[in-house]
Amino acid sequence: MELLSNIFPPQNFTLVAVILGLPALGAFINGIFGRRLGKDGVRLMALSAIGGSFIASLVAFFMLVALNKHGEHGAGESVQVLKFTAWHWFDVSTSGGFGTAPIEVAFSIDHLTSVMMLVITGVGFLIHLYATAYMWDDPRADGGFHRFFAYLNLFCFAMLVLVMGSSLPLLFVGWEGVGLCSYLLIGFWYSDEANAAAGKKAFIANRIGDFGLLVAMGLLLAYGGSLDWGGIASGTGSLLQPVQVWPIGTPPTSGLGGAIVRAVPWLFAPVTPNVATVVGLCLFLGCAGKSAQIPLYVWLPDAMAGPTPVSALIHAATMVTAGVYLVCRLWYVFLLSPFVMATVALVGVATALFAATIGLAQTDIKKVLAYSTVSQLGFMFLGVGVGAFSAGFFHVFTHAFFKACLFLGAGSVIHAMHAGIHDSAASQDMRNMGGLRKWLPTTYLTFFASCLAIAGFPFTSGFFSKDEILYRAYVTHISGIEVEKGVKPWEAPSWFGPMLYLFGIIAATMTAFYMFRALFLTFWGEFRGWEIAKAGAEGKADHADHGAAHHGKGGHDDHHHGPAPAPHESPWAMTMPLVVLAVFAVFGGLFNPGLHLSKEPLLEHWLGPVFDLHEKYVHVNHEGPSEWLLAFPGVLAFVVGAGGAYFVYVMNNGAPARAFTERVPALYRLVLDKWRIDELYDNTVIGAVESLADTSAQFDKWFVDGIIARLTGLLVAAFGTVLRAFQTGVVHVYAAVMVLGIAVFGWFFVWQPQAHATVRDQGSGKYVVEASPGLGYTFRWHSKSPDQPDSEAFSVRRSVELQVQPGETKLVKVDVKNAFNRTTTGTVAVTRPSAAPAGSERAAAPVMKGSIQ
Amino acid sequence: MIPVEYYLVVAGVMFGIGAIGFLLRRNLLVQLMCVELLLNSVNLTLVAFNRMRPDDHNGQMFAFFVIAVAAAEAAVGLAIGLAIYRLTRSVRSDEADLLKN
Repeated sequence: MELLSNIFPPQNFTLVAVILGLPALGAFINGIFGRRLGKDGVRLMALSAIGGSFIASLVAFFMLVALNKHGEHGAGESVQVLKFTAWHWFDVSTSGGFGTAPIEVAFSIDHLTSVMMLVITGVGFLIHLYATAYMWDDPRADGGFHRFFAYLNLFCFAMLVLVMGSSLPLLFVGWEGVGLCSYLLIGFWYSDEANAAAGKKAFIANRIGDFGLLVAMGLLLAYGGSLDWGGIASGTGSLLQPVQVWPIGTPPTSGLGGAIVRAVPWLFAPVTPNVATVVGLCLFLGCAGKSAQIPLYVWLPDAMAGPTPVSALIHAATMVTAGVYLVCRLWYVFLLSPFVMATVALVGVATALFAATIGLAQTDIKKVLAYSTVSQLGFMFLGVGVGAFSAGFFHVFTHAFFKACLFLGAGSVIHAMHAGIHDSAASQDMRNMGGLRKWLPTTYLTFFASCLAIAGFPFTSGFFSKDEILYRAYVTHISGIEVEKGVKPWEAPSWFGPMLYLFGIIAATMTAFYMFRALFLTFWGEFRGWEIAKAGAEGKADHADHGAAHHGKGGHDDHHHGPAPAPHESPWAMTMPLVVLAVFAVFGGLFNPGLHLSKEPLLEHWLGPVFDLHEKYVHVNHEGPSEWLLAFPGVLAFVVGAGGAYFVYVMNNGAPARAFTERVPALYRLVLDKWRIDELYDNTVIGAVESLADTSAQFDKWFVDGIIARLTGLLVAAFGTVLRAFQTGVVHVYAAVMVLGIAVFGWFFVWQPQAHATVRDQGSGKYVVEASPGLGYTFRWHSKSPDQPDSEAFSVRRSVELQVQPGETKLVKVDVKNAFNRTTTGTVAVTRPSAAPAGSERAAAPVMKGSIQ
Repeated sequence: MIPVEYYLVVAGVMFGIGAIGFLLRRNLLVQLMCVELLLNSVNLTLVAFNRMRPDDHNGQMFAFFVIAVAAAEAAVGLAIGLAIYRLTRSVRSDEADLLKN
């Protein structure tokens, strides 16, 4: 450790270059040379890049631990972080141009970042490993094996930049980078139009959020004066000033506008929140886009069009948690406004509840997991929204394990289903599965473990994190900051916390239900896919061969003979990550056990310095119900949800569910169609944008193309018709015209001397008149009086000086003689402005007039 | 020593003959020769003026450059004449009017 900190001093932590550089290098090599490297080479490159990055991250983590052990002398000591400044990027001017804020490409690794790095590179490595087997013989990738891993490595690079960047602009670089990789990977099978459309949808929904993030950056720069974490933290004081956001400018007082203002005065009542509220809401818009919260969540379920490892890595474990990370990172901005915090919590719990209802009815296994992800992200925002930052972040941490495990398990199932069913939609449909635990024991066990974790089975990781969030939602209260004396800042009402808790419990119940529904439909009962598999096997004999080749590597070709190949367990490269992730999913809670099981929970203690002093605003009501009491409904949620699923799908084989759908078919259709939110957006926002685009297109077609373009065209054509007459094509005419032109020029410049003069203001009434030079010119000046030349002889002196009184005008005459003894006279009038204020004499230019006589 | 005016008069006459010939004749080859006359009349003025300044060789240097450029011009011009002859079976410049209008 001593040696390491000598090589990588904390203030110049060059190990960052390794952590970031390896995935970037992997992306570069696989992207450029991947085709020539071959699949083995690509696999080696991708795995070693992300694996090396993981090891380096581990080293960084332990160095940070050691550093903070040394640093723990007193409570008041500043937090020790690892820093590395790569280069100076650019300067931006702040607050009306009074100052400049340097934007540096600088990275810092603090407690929060170090955990995120371990999750990104650790889970990332497992998923890379999984993907090497999953994508090995992908028939749809079209030789894109190297392309896939290049994107995946690039994603890890961008995500690391996102969490390691020490300022908002750098975070934004990573933010956009992961968005790009997400787009590329969702549309990885781009030949399918639906996948390409899903990629575009994700990209555009994220753009809306990015708009909020950019506005927040501008506001922080204008009011706070800095964009790096330390600067934002120290500039929070100036974020409390009020700012008028509506009406924009001054409302009109006369005319039609004034009449409108008088008619509906309430519409023009000034809205003046403080800057922190505006910044917080804008930041949260960015978070809602990236982390798929209401109203921008619609892209995430569609993003499941990408390969399953992508869903696991990007759309479950890492990228979508970037929003939660940002809230944790800038908690001191969010906490300034209890209104923003309440918004975050409310949107979070609403998303958790809403997405859970959709998850109840989905039949596509990946769709269930997608809505479950949206729902769990809602839980995370609920956590950070009530000020329980370490609890919210703990849920990010545990969710990364169990959701990645669930997605990879689903991928393993789909992989197995592909043995017999080659249609991707049918192979993901849970109605075609069932009884798979017989063939996929490892997948089943790991899936089951993760199911327990996400549903909140006591003492699994998900139980601890979810329980902590719900407990904090109930008991915390966020106090506002009194800016003006006597004006009470907005605070959430007292029923707000219990309401959040109640909705959270309902969402948790539904989570348990739909997760166990997925588990039972997939792994229990009888296999229902024979019919489709048989049809597939008979209809597409070549595909059966293909399926055999696909899995020949694993050494089990038992599905070669027989009409319908049975599903089979995946190779070790796929099951190993599952096992590791499942172990973390079950035991990950031990990092931060709640319920007073541990005196000092590890993660909370570790993150303590990051969220230092947040207790000033976040008050925990210790007189309320105890954590144990509030955990009880959480356990009940698990029992009711899982038991309900068992009752419906195992004991009665889905009969109650069918009866329910027959009883209220309209409601069932509505939920199955995801509450038709996509259609709602299509008809409102997207429809409005499209009609605007149509109008613009018509304007372009009829006005721009029809009138403006045609008019210019006609004008050019008319000129062309006239000028064409001169283009005789006879060389003699051209030559004659040229001779004539040269003759005219010669007469003007050589035969006729040119008398021109310019006046220069030297200040305090002194002016210099200078004549333009020419070949063989001599000059005779009349600077004292216009009639009498200064001297009779012509000389080569080109300029004269003269003194002019204020308000006076002097005429200066100059005779210019050329080599042919021809003379021209020019006159310049020099005027000095009379009432020139002191000091501005230089600026007042004289009136200039020259003439040829 | 012959006064410089003599040279200038000769050069002026040469330049006039060249210019009039270039404008009035229609045979490409003759026009090229006229161009040579024009260039050489300028050369003559250059070296004549240079005689007035014995310690300076700028005029002569210029004349050499003009000779070199004239050689290149003659080569290109003759090549163009040859190409036109192949195309139109004549070397009359007023028949080479492909770019008319």
